[in-house]
Amino acid sequence: MAQPVFTSFLLIALAVSAKALTPTHHLSSTDVTRLQATLDQPFEDLQSAFYTIVGLNKLGTRVSDEKSACQFLRSNLDSSSIDSLFYASEASQALSDCEVPVSNETRDLLLATISEDSSVSQIYHAVSALTSLGLPLSSQEVVSALTARITKEDNVLAITLALHTASRLSQQADLRGILEEIEDLAARLDDLGGVYLQFEEGLEATALFVTAAYELSDHVGMEPPLKEDQVVQLVNSLFSKKTWGSLAEAYSVACAAAVLSNNRYHIPVIVRTQGPATVSHRDPTLELQVTNVLSQPLTSASVLLESARSVSSKSVVLKQASFSLKGETFELNFMDSQAASGYYDFSVTVRGDDRFVGNQVELKVKVSTEVGIANVDLSVVDKDQSIAPKTTRVEYPTKGKGTFTVDSHQNFALSFQLVDVNTGVELIPHQTFLRLHNQKTGQEVVFVAEPDSKNVYKFELDASERKSEFDSVSGTYALYLIVGDATLENPILWNVADVVLKFMDEEGPAIVQSKNIYVPKPEIQHLFREPEKKPPTVVSNTFTALVLAPLLLLLILWLKLGANISNFSFAPSTLLFHLGHAALLGLMYVYWTQLNMFQTLKYLAVLGSLTYLAGNRMLAQKAVKRTGRQ
Amino acid sequence: MSNSVLSVISRFLEEYLSSTPTKLKMCDAYLLYILLTGVMQFLYCLLVGTFPFNSFLSGFISCVGSFILAVCLRIQINPQNKSEFLGISPERAFADFLFAHTVLHLVVINFIG
Repeated sequence: MAQPVFTSFLLIALAVSAKALTPTHHLSSTDVTRLQATLDQPFEDLQSAFYTIVGLNKLGTRVSDEKSACQFLRSNLDSSSIDSLFYASEASQALSDCEVPVSNETRDLLLATISEDSSVSQIYHAVSALTSLGLPLSSQEVVSALTARITKEDNVLAITLALHTASRLSQQADLRGILEEIEDLAARLDDLGGVYLQFEEGLEATALFVTAAYELSDHVGMEPPLKEDQVVQLVNSLFSKKTWGSLAEAYSVACAAAVLSNNRYHIPVIVRTQGPATVSHRDPTLELQVTNVLSQPLTSASVLLESARSVSSKSVVLKQASFSLKGETFELNFMDSQAASGYYDFSVTVRGDDRFVGNQVELKVKVSTEVGIANVDLSVVDKDQSIAPKTTRVEYPTKGKGTFTVDSHQNFALSFQLVDVNTGVELIPHQTFLRLHNQKTGQEVVFVAEPDSKNVYKFELDASERKSEFDSVSGTYALYLIVGDATLENPILWNVADVVLKFMDEEGPAIVQSKNIYVPKPEIQHLFREPEKKPPTVVSNTFTALVLAPLLLLLILWLKLGANISNFSFAPSTLLFHLGHAALLGLMYVYWTQLNMFQTLKYLAVLGSLTYLAGNRMLAQKAVKRTGRQ
Repeated sequence: MSNSVLSVISRFLEEYLSSTPTKLKMCDAYLLYILLTGVMQFLYCLLVGTFPFNSFLSGFISCVGSFILAVCLRIQINPQNKSEFLGISPERAFADFLFAHTVLHLVVINFIG
């Protein structure tokens, strides 16, 4: 039921990944030199000596003074430490004619380390020391110890060391269990963007894994379970870093580079162009460098151009052409195929060894040429076409003789053709500009010349229409033709002629100064908020009087009505009430001028309660009096 | 038409002057005063604009508030309305009037700026 869906998925996945991956990073010869320099440090201890000696050995060079190196190893050797024995024995193997003395106790110590109780690192060091020193050991014991340890130490480094150990054992031993670990470990690699494949533990872990996997595969005689794309991605991860932080990291990269340039199964191939990927009539050969990851040339390979396809016209220009070996580079004369100028996609395959990985490369090659200008005609045409146009032919690179005067009822016209000098084909470059430069005022105006259907460039200047671009400044303008393109080897800047332009209603010669935008600007004065417009004082005062006037009216009315003040009793509560009330009104005034709400409320509480009590008393008395009367 | 209006007004004034007790007439005088003060303030605002708007508002609201409180006082002390305000004696009405005025003035002074 799900089968058709699954197969269609598989097909789509295959189609998408059909384009083979090629390495984007490798160690160039300068990188290799730098790596050697990083490794070639004076010895600090046995471990650093080990990294230096063995690392340089892997890269094909040797330590400068082997005798003193050997002396250093012998003097720093600690026979009771497994690690020390490992470093000394391995380093001495890399040096020519260096022996590390070994005693029976040492051998027993090393053999005793091979058990389930030692860590994988210890077992590895012991086994390596034993094999380097030429001492016998039991491979089966090692295998069982390793298998037991791997289940307990499941990290990447431990399993890598187990793989290293297995590559030192006898080929008769049953290493299948450990061999399977390569595939499990490879599954733990992180794929970054489809370009890089590495362990999250870092570069050193990845490099040591690659070294161990290939060493063990070579030892056992079985191809490592890594696909071509994975190998290329590993190459990218390993060699993208060009400076190495520690001796151990440099050593691991050196080991990985060495193993990838020389193993029985996968040799990643690096194809680069020598210099820029450009061919022209003067330089018609394309040269390729085909090397391994250490930039060592693979002269035994055969390089074939499968197809060269033009980017613009998508047609195949050349097929199945082989590159010839010249010294250490492969070259091909591409101009023999009479290719037009432009960009081409090259599909190159490197053959000669089944081990080659990443051997199908896509390159973008540029064919450049030189441009020539032909049939340049300058003419001054009358707008109403009553007078026949005057045409002058100018030859590149000379300047047109005489000046051409154009005023407001004339047009200035220019036509020319651009041809490929070598093939005679008409060209349409990217940049064809006409620049008019007024020498006196420094103005310049640039126009674009466009080709018509017959690939002839035409340019017309209508003086009155374009006067705004010239700021209506009349005068002599030098006319330049500018031709440029990425595929042209000879860009052109040619002073064709001098043109005198006459404009009507000239606005005075404005000297165009290059606008200097970096002068200080006028200072901005801060405008404080202006107070609102108030009415004139007279009006305000008048209205203040008007507002207060009704008070007078009130007093008069009250008097007229016969306000009864005679009933005012001078009882203390009455006095207190009136005083308190007056004080309250005074408090209101003080609040307006000075206090805030909280202070006012404080005073109000005091005064208010007083007034309230007094008022209560007073009103009660009044009520009694009233009811008494009634 | 205007004749009848005039006669109605003169009759009203007559009735008012004769049958209203003095206490209420004093209250009415006070009301008239408040009214005129408010009108003056409003005229000023119409004339010169609302700059300082908060002052205008507080003054005007003060007049309006005082007018309302005085009207309440007048209603409550009118002996003809005694049946509706059984629990509230004229003294009590006056005390309420004073208290409400205190609160009003507090707010007005706060707002007058």
